[in-house]
This record gives sequence, structure tokens and C-alpha cells, in this order.
Amino acid sequence: MSAQPNDNQQLAERVLSKVQSEGASGDLIIDAGESLSLKARDGELEEYKVTSSQIFGLRVIKDGRVGTAYSEASDSDALESMVEQALINASFARVEEFEKISKSDDTLATDNALLCPTDAVSIDEKIQFSLDLERKLASMDKVKNVPYNGVQDVTGQRQVFTSNGLNAQSKSRTCLSFAYALVEEDDVNAMEGLGQAARTFPSLDVDALVKQVHLNTLSILHGKPVPSKHYDVIFNAETQAEVFHVFASMFSGKSAKDGVNPMRDKVGEAIADPRLTILDNPSLTDGFGYALFDAEGTATDKLALINQGNLASLIHNSATAAYFDTHSTGHASRGPKSTLGVGVHQLEILAGTDGDSSLKAGTYLELVNLTGLHSGANPLSGNFSFGASGYLCKDGIRGQAIRGITVAGNFFDMLNKIAAIGDAPVWDWEHSSLMPSIRFSDLAISG
Amino acid sequence: MLNNQVANTVIDHALSLGADFAELFIERNQVNAVNSLSSEVQSVQSGIDFGIGIRMIYGNKVLYGYTNKNDEAELKKIASALAAKDLRDPTTSSTSFNFIEPMELHPVGLPLSQGSEVASKVAYLLKADAAARKASNLISQTRGICMQRQQAIELFNSEGLHTSDTRHYIRTSLTAIASDGSEQATGSRTEGGLQGWEIHEHIDASATGDEAARQALVNLSAQPCPSGRMPVVIGNGFGGVIFHEACGHLLETTSVAKKASVFHDQMGEMIANPAVSAVDDGTLTKEWGSINIDDEGMQTRKTQLIKDGRLTSFLVDRLGAQQTGFDRTGSGRRESYKYAPASRMRNTFIEAGNDSFEDMISSMERGIYASHMGGGSVQPGTGEFNFAVTEGYYVENGKIQHPVKAATLISTGPAVLREISMVGSDFALASGMCGSVSGAVPTSVGQATLKVDDILVGGNA
Repeated sequence: MSAQPNDNQQLAERVLSKVQSEGASGDLIIDAGESLSLKARDGELEEYKVTSSQIFGLRVIKDGRVGTAYSEASDSDALESMVEQALINASFARVEEFEKISKSDDTLATDNALLCPTDAVSIDEKIQFSLDLERKLASMDKVKNVPYNGVQDVTGQRQVFTSNGLNAQSKSRTCLSFAYALVEEDDVNAMEGLGQAARTFPSLDVDALVKQVHLNTLSILHGKPVPSKHYDVIFNAETQAEVFHVFASMFSGKSAKDGVNPMRDKVGEAIADPRLTILDNPSLTDGFGYALFDAEGTATDKLALINQGNLASLIHNSATAAYFDTHSTGHASRGPKSTLGVGVHQLEILAGTDGDSSLKAGTYLELVNLTGLHSGANPLSGNFSFGASGYLCKDGIRGQAIRGITVAGNFFDMLNKIAAIGDAPVWDWEHSSLMPSIRFSDLAISG
Repeated sequence: MLNNQVANTVIDHALSLGADFAELFIERNQVNAVNSLSSEVQSVQSGIDFGIGIRMIYGNKVLYGYTNKNDEAELKKIASALAAKDLRDPTTSSTSFNFIEPMELHPVGLPLSQGSEVASKVAYLLKADAAARKASNLISQTRGICMQRQQAIELFNSEGLHTSDTRHYIRTSLTAIASDGSEQATGSRTEGGLQGWEIHEHIDASATGDEAARQALVNLSAQPCPSGRMPVVIGNGFGGVIFHEACGHLLETTSVAKKASVFHDQMGEMIANPAVSAVDDGTLTKEWGSINIDDEGMQTRKTQLIKDGRLTSFLVDRLGAQQTGFDRTGSGRRESYKYAPASRMRNTFIEAGNDSFEDMISSMERGIYASHMGGGSVQPGTGEFNFAVTEGYYVENGKIQHPVKAATLISTGPAVLREISMVGSDFALASGMCGSVSGAVPTSVGQATLKVDDILVGGNA
């Protein structure tokens, strides 16, 4: 890190003391990170990148008005300028009746042994892993090349200080490897990729990744569209997590406060199939979204979002909670460059009762890749239309590979079109969610 | 921003470690954003980014690191750490810099460094908000943003180049939300340019509000979109995202050099319908995707990518030139000092043709008129892409019938380029952000209204 925690505490005290001397209250986020990333090409290391960064993000509240400013420089002039700018920005803002700085003066810290373990893997060994990944995948049957691949070792640290004395810090490590294979046969090509993540480097498995990427790409190579009509659909773990995260703003107390959440007045109402229970569970340490506290320093806890089909709660920071006359659910989000918002930590869908025999009975589509999630979804209306690929399946057996189709529907309607919920939840590390397979009925497929 | 002597010492240090090429990219980025919501100022944000990126090239291998500090010891430490596994005898001698003042193609009127003009921006946003709400009582909410950025860059490299530039970006956007009690729909309008807040003298806040509201109301009344293969007429301006995704990314040497582009071996060949000529041009005055110099210090230029259907150029950065043998096109771009540069687009568009809108619509027995497009993505290796339609209409028997919602267009780059059969004359550019290996950079897309004879439309009717 560019500065040690104790250095940062002194810097934070100076910044927040200046804030208080101007008649304001405030909180300061200090994010810092170090990373190593490697990419290989044609048996050689193509990129070797080492980074070290630190950023200060200040929020001040003066006369009920909120202002934010940030700085990547940590010298006194830069930090003083940041305070002045935040105060100027606050002077233009409307009065935010409900936004306050946390009153807590707690000291919180995550467990480094759990979230930021060390290992003895050398840089040379990481380079060798990167070279092996590219070389082994490139040597597989029908693989033309491995255009995108990489290995990363990332350590991130967040500290939150407030003018009321809160000092919260978390630190975590993520080791990643990923690869995309371009496979070609008879002028037909396909590219698929996959990644794996772990807290320590030895937990990454190059052979398993190579095997899975190759299998996924080869399986889809000669895929064709299916006739346009409505099908039952089972998303794989990755795509199901993607879809639920695209529409996670339906739980946002901030969007509800801003008048742009269609679920705003539906807490307590049935909005989904009664077999569906969705939690946000930040305390699951197997996930990379584990959080001890949120961006305001509020301690997190497990929260039911949908309980047996009923909308149980929205997620709140202290401001949205005060607006709706409830309490913060520990879901404040704020980056150093952004204003206060809310965000889910780790979505968990509770297991259903359907084994494979009922979940995968008859004909359905298994979708393993979705494209256009950032542009093809409208979180306000729930409407979506994504590019997709996967398999036409019968009784749990993959048949024809499918490419060049779209899947379209309305997510809010989809929650009521659940045919079955599997009994075996699996993690998706990328979205840090734990979900069983769900069979959705009657989705529009165009091919 | 960085002392010449420090730069000289660091570059020489990098060369002494055996690098074939070394470069320092220094960036100071000042940002101001004004946000409106519910007819009030929601927030004003500001900040300063500062950092230095160090790139060292050994053969085709790139070593890259960055720091927020600007002292010599820190920079030399990073260079040494990067080169630790590649140490070899120096191949190049020490450097003396020759400062080159880039030609100023985009003079600024009201830069952020002269004031953030918050009051004026607030007035603009609230006027746009009022216009949107006045359009209909079904407009239930609006969100506005006015983002201004001043990016100062300085470059030193081991070939003796020393240059600097300051880029001024401004972007305003209003999103309107229409609600009828059971359904909600959105509409938006965005304006942007490589200029300062003087842009407000040329854009009409009321027109912005009217347009955002109009689109939201159209989408509120939209019916589910039919699906299947059919002809599609794609509107001008942001409709050019189709070329950006379907073809532009595949012409970047970042993909070409890896043979991860379907066009990597097709230079000089017909890759599109003869109706298609396409350009990537960084020189267009004050356009959002324009630059004076690229992020490797090369003067920007206009690059003819496709002429009458034939592939005439790739987008080439320094490393791409080294790997493919094609000349650099001033296309080395990066989001910030946190990224090594890569070949990227600037203002990319299909040149205007002569076909009329009426002829395009009347030629369709059953199809879609996609008047406004949203974002999309492409897989360079296969050319498979997808686009969202943000405002679309069903066309039957040569006549526009009714609005449709939740439509997506999917195809592959090579296929769609062959299917563009008619290009209109109503050329327009639109601003966007393009994400790729070197981060998110401002790019413009553009085209006249054009017709694609056959493409897969995804809908839920």
C-alpha cells in the first residue's frame, strides 16, 4: 500500500478535523490496492503489470447539505483542497433531511487471516502458471489460439473514518485466472471463456480451467439457432447470477426513495412464486462479497429480501432508512468518487425441493452464455432481451448446441413463472452469489 | 507536470535495464459533475486524479506499472520491479527530449480550470427537467447529469518524444421516466463534445427535456416486439453503434495482431456491401471522440477503414504496428494512467449515401425501424454482437405501425456488413463511452439512417 493504516488514520484525523472546524461533519473513505497481473501469448509473457494505488473520498454534511470530493494525491495541499471542494459542492446541493454521518465510534476490522491470507508462491511461479495456462489451452484439439488470458493477484483495502470517531477497515485478497479459447473447425468458429478465483494462489487449478474452457468452447462450436417460440429455460450458475444482479435494483431503497423503483410500495406483497426465498447474506465467508460493515460503517447482517414469494424488505443505508422510517440494513454503498447509495453484498436463494429428475424433466433450454446484459435490460420495467447460447436438453441430457438466439421476457413476470427450484445451491464467484438452479417457464426465444 | 530531468533519469534507467522502448504517461484529471433529481440539485461532485504510468517494451512483451507519486525514486523503483525478470544489457543509449507542441484542433471556451459554472449547469438541468415534465403528467421522474472533465497529459518516451496536451470534455444527459401506474418506461437524450461549458450556448435544454419525455412516452405505449429474422432500418446518429461493435472493434490491432479478429487476414478484400464506406476520424472539431494527439503522443488523423466495401486500414497503435507491420494511425488510447495504451476507435462512422428514408421503409414487408439504439457488445474472435433497441417501431407492408419494446438485434460483424443495402443522407454523430482492454474512452459513433436486409430480432411477442 502507498501508506500504512496508521499513516492513514493520522491523515484522516487531519482531514476530518478540518471538516469539523468548518462547522460540518463528514466521513472519509480511503481505498488502497496492490495488484500483479500477467498475460501470455504464443508461449511468451505478453504483459506484466504491477500497480499500487490509493484514493481518498470525502463526504461532508453542512447545514443539511451534502457534498463530496476526492483526491488521489495524499499531500497536505491536495487533502485541504479536497475538503474545500467538498464544502463548496455542498453549498449547491439541496437540503438532505435524512442523510447523516454515522454516530458510531466503533473500531471494526476484518480478519486478515481469513480474507487476506498469504502464501509462499513466488512471482516466477505465477509467471509459469500464466504461461502454462496459455500453452496448455492452445495445444488442445481445434484451439486456434487463446486471445485473452490472464493471472491476477489483487489485494484491496478499505478504511472508513468519520468525524464521530468510527474507524472501520477491511482488507481482502483475490487470486484470479481466466482464459478464452478461439476454436475453429470447417470455417466455423467459437470463443468461450471462463475464470476461477481463490483467496490464495495455490488454490487456482490450471488444468481444471483449461479442461473446462476447452470443453465449453468445443461443445458450443457447431451450435445452431432453435425455432422461435416459448421454451422452459434453466440458466447455468453464472448466467442466472448475472440476470438476478441486473435486476437487483428492484430491492434498492435508494431507487424507491428517488421514485424509480416499481417495488417501492410492494413490501409485504406477493411478488414471486411462493417457493422463492431470496436473502442478502454478507456473512458467508466463502463468497468474495463478504462484508463486515457497509460504506457508512454500519455492521452488516443477513436480510430476507423475498420470503416465500413475498417482498420482505428493501435494502437501506441510513438516509433511505430514515426516509422510510425504518433502520439501516447495512447496505450503504459509496466509492471514493461517488455519493451515498445502496447495494447488495451476496445474493443467496434458498434451496428448493426439486431434484434433477423433476427440475430437468422433459424439454428445456439450458442457457450458458448471455450477451448484452448492460444494454438489453430495463431494470425499471423489468423487460429484457439478451443474446444467448446454450443447449436444447431433454430429461437432463444436453442435445443440440444452440447459438445465435435471443431470450426475452419480463423479469418481474419471470419471478412468477417458476416451474421448479433445485435442491443444490452453487456459488458463482464472479457475482458472489449462492443459488440453486431454477427452471423458468415460457420465455420467448428467437432463433 | 513532471520535471524533465526526472523524466530523463527514469527513461534512461529503464533503458539501462535492457528495455527496447520506455515511456512515461503523466495524467492530471480534474472532474466536476452536477446531478439533478426530482427537479432539484441532487449532488455536486468533484475530484482530482493524478498518476504516472510507466511502459517498458521488450520485444512484443509489455511491462506496465503506475503510481500516484511523481518522485524519481518511486518511478525508478517501479521500472526496476517491472524489469526484474527481463534484465539484459542495454540496447539503446540515453535519451534527450525534443518537445513537440501538438496542433490545437479543438480550442476551448469555458474550461473547467476557469470555473465549474455550477449555477449555469444547474439552470440547464432544471430547464430540461421542466420541459420534460411539461410534456405530460405521465412523466413521473427525471434524472440529469452534467459532467465536465479536464484531462492534462504529458508524455516522454525513449525515442526522445516529449509532448503534452489538455483535453476538455463535457457531457450532459437527461433521462425521463414515464409511468401510467402499472408500467414504467424511460427515454433519454445525451449531448457531448471535446469542449468546455461553452457547449451550453449551442444546445437547447428544453429540446433535451422534450426529446427525453417523447421517447419515454413512446416506450410507455410500446407493444412487445415480434421476433425472428427480418429487415431492420436503423436510425442515424447513435445507430452507428452497429458499425462500432460489428466492425470497428474487429479492426483494432489489439484483436488483429492476436488473430482474434475475423478480419485479421482480409486487408484489401471486400468485407462489406459496396454501399458501405467507413471512417475513423480523430480530427473532427470538438467532437466527443476527437483528440489532438493519441495517448502515445502521435498527431491524430482521419483513417479510411472501408472504401466501397473494401477493407483499407486497421486501427494501429505502436505495439500493433510492431506486431502487424501496418503503419500507426494515431489510435493508441487509454482511459487513464492506470492502463497501457491499446488501439482504439475515435469518431467512427459509416459515410452517408443517397437513399431515402421513405424508400427504406416502403421496401419492408415486415420488419423493424430501430430509430434509437442503446449499447451493445461484441466478441471479436467470432464477430458475434448484440445491440439493444431503445426506441423501435414495427413495420408492415411498407408502413410504420406501432412502437415496440425490449428488442435486441444480434448477428455477426461480417454478416451484417454484407446485409447493409441502403444508406441514407441524414448523417449524424452521437457520443458514447467505449469499454475495452485499455479502459473506457470517449468515442463517437455515427451514420445516416440505413437498412440491413436480414438480421435476427429478439423480442417477447
